[in-house]
Amino acid sequence: MDSATQAAEKIKTAAPRHLVSGNRLVALGAVAAGCRFFSGYPITPSSEIFQTMIEELPRVDNGGLALAAPDEISALAYCVGASMAGYKAMTATSGPGWCLMIETLQYALITETPVVIAVVQRLGPSTGGATQGAQGDVLLTQFCTSGGYTIPVFAPSNARECFELTQTAFWWSERLRTPVVLLSDKEVGMTLESVDAESLQRGPAAERAAFSGGGRYLPYEYRRQDEPPAFAPVGGSVKVVATGSAHDREGKLRKNSAEVIDLLAHLQTKIAAHAKQMAICDADLQKNAETLVLSYGTTARAAREAVNRLRAAGHKVSLLKLMTLFPIATEAIMRAAKGCARVVVAEENLTGLYASMVESLVGKRELVRVNGIGNQISPARIVEAVERAQ
Amino acid sequence: MTPCYLVTDAPLPYCKGCGHGVILRAFGEALEKLQLPPADVAVVTDIGCVGLADSLFAAPHTVHTTHGRSTAFAAGFALADSVLGAARLKPVVMIGDGGAMIGISHLVNAALLNVDVTVLMHNNFLFGMTGGQNSAFSPMEFVTATTPGGNAVPPLDLARVLLASRASFVARKIAGDRDLAEVLARAIAHPGFAMVEVLELCTGFATKSNSLTGTQLKQVAEKAGYELGVLREERRATFGEVYKERNRSATTAAPEEKYSAAQFAAGTRVAKRLVIAGTAGERVQTAAMLLGQAAMLCGLRVTQKNDYPVTQGTGFSVSEVILSPDEILFTGIDEPDAVLVVSGDGAKELERNGVFGRVTKKTVVLADSGVDMPELPCAIRRFPFRNATAAKTAALASVAQWLSIAKALPLEALWAAIGVRFPEEAETTKANIGKMLQVAGLA
Repeated sequence: MDSATQAAEKIKTAAPRHLVSGNRLVALGAVAAGCRFFSGYPITPSSEIFQTMIEELPRVDNGGLALAAPDEISALAYCVGASMAGYKAMTATSGPGWCLMIETLQYALITETPVVIAVVQRLGPSTGGATQGAQGDVLLTQFCTSGGYTIPVFAPSNARECFELTQTAFWWSERLRTPVVLLSDKEVGMTLESVDAESLQRGPAAERAAFSGGGRYLPYEYRRQDEPPAFAPVGGSVKVVATGSAHDREGKLRKNSAEVIDLLAHLQTKIAAHAKQMAICDADLQKNAETLVLSYGTTARAAREAVNRLRAAGHKVSLLKLMTLFPIATEAIMRAAKGCARVVVAEENLTGLYASMVESLVGKRELVRVNGIGNQISPARIVEAVERAQ
Repeated sequence: MTPCYLVTDAPLPYCKGCGHGVILRAFGEALEKLQLPPADVAVVTDIGCVGLADSLFAAPHTVHTTHGRSTAFAAGFALADSVLGAARLKPVVMIGDGGAMIGISHLVNAALLNVDVTVLMHNNFLFGMTGGQNSAFSPMEFVTATTPGGNAVPPLDLARVLLASRASFVARKIAGDRDLAEVLARAIAHPGFAMVEVLELCTGFATKSNSLTGTQLKQVAEKAGYELGVLREERRATFGEVYKERNRSATTAAPEEKYSAAQFAAGTRVAKRLVIAGTAGERVQTAAMLLGQAAMLCGLRVTQKNDYPVTQGTGFSVSEVILSPDEILFTGIDEPDAVLVVSGDGAKELERNGVFGRVTKKTVVLADSGVDMPELPCAIRRFPFRNATAAKTAALASVAQWLSIAKALPLEALWAAIGVRFPEEAETTKANIGKMLQVAGLA
């Protein structure tokens, strides 16, 4: 086949159908996951998720509720309340709103309440640049709890992944009864893309393990330290005790008994024990590669293009796109970096936030950071960094 | 069997004479009086001494929350239950004066929404648990740990704040009032938001530094200008009722516009990267979207990024569109294949954001005849986009012009996209732009 015929073939089989934004597909992904409650507060670049949920949720099977909150603290608190009452819930915000939500996020964490928060990053700090993209909240979504608990964070790089990873976020949130962050950014959220509707994957429905009704209900009793307790809704027939204070299995406020400490440790153990299953990444490894290019979110697309160009120029380069940022996909990163002389981490922030997370995994290999703010990291910059390092 | 609400067989965990105990007993009495199924009651506590109350209730659900946020969590229960559940749940919030101030926006919003939440505000004029500090509700001249010379800031009137927030039930009582349990029962039974503020004494701190007894609470209220009694009790539809009524007819999602593959053959076999720049409100983004949809009708992949100032309706509007037979990776544009400039605002922005600096010899640049343009490494082709059509069709005209020149897609695909999106305007738009293309000798 000559190149013209090849191109014609490609055009025929591509079949893109919708021009949609990542934000819209986050909302539709939430609906696909069975989300029935949404509360939001407008903030660029996430507002479209809020608006789409206002349109979509009243139409879902069995009904759904989407409403405006007076602020981000209320938005997440309404969601946590709805989730405690037994309904899958989500909110969406950007960096400034996320800062306000952190108090309530920690409450969701300690009360083991599933909730998904879509954080669509923009340029910070503070009000920063509302209509400018960035990947600056990566560690803010992670290191926002007292005690350093792992908040699962999934990062889509395109509209299709917005749909799929939002469902993944719900799945793990319900499965482990934990808050989960879907970390998008302005470019992924607001860019319109042609997406073939038929290619959108619907994941399995997630349901939190419910209390069977046999015997006395101890709201925080778990069978294994790495599994969440059984769920009973506030308003259901079984009395629920919930508290944000350090508590025992009955939900009673206790100081530092062995039971309380075990329970606090369990909040981390249940996440850490599932780290391997949670790790989603796209590895395109090349035999005898000297360089591994690692990226996530919008910059992963530039990284893909850069690796294509580098290979075309004869360089041996592997590529790893991370879709799970936390817990860190340690094994996948180690496997991808094996044999490489250097690891190049490309991300749109000032100092290489995620690079600092993989630094210890990189070991003796050279760690090259490709960073910047104010504009998307271009493939040319990644190509240049790889060529210069060799 | 009588449901067990407040556990009364053990002493309450409060100081001797503390108003919290008096109020909680009245609340327990109110629950007994109403005989609500305990599963329909959720006691939601805030932080502070009042936050210990959840542990004192046997059968109802109890939720101990964060400081000031109790009302927001309770609103979450009520919202979800009223729309998605059986609309039976009665969350009752126990909050102090400290929590009421830190969470005042939650109280205001719950009142506005008229969610079925009852808030019992225990006002003892200070922060007790942390050592008797001044609060926003401390009376004038009140001596506390943080106002040793007497409080100089007038106290907040929460009842009035919530009356102004359209609360459907508002009352202010004194802890010793004989009818407290009765008023609390009315508040809980009220279908909608209810707030009962109860004035009480902190015997741990307030009475030690101020000569104050329970019998003087009425004078404290008078001095502060606080009205006592049930200040409002009226029926108004709750948010849940309104939401269900409004969305009764909500049907399954309207089918989205679908663009079946390859109705037309694309003229390009490589990616084309365009920047379209104009003025906000002049349908630059719409023109870019129509181009994208036309490309999809040719089986191409598309990305479209829009940029505008935070003000949205004024200043520039810039769209970047990539059309490609392959998967589009990087969505930015390093070297544009085409730059279409339809207004001065657009030209200024491309100068500022560096797009003009990335124009190469190969770039096709089309500009409106009236726009000031800088020197560029390529030729600038001028067309009367604005005068020949209208400001609001100038961007679309420039897209049609570019298609006529670059032949990346057949013009028919653009007309078809307009027909899908704006069927009523399709013919006129096509005619107007067609005329312009004829003038330019390109039709």
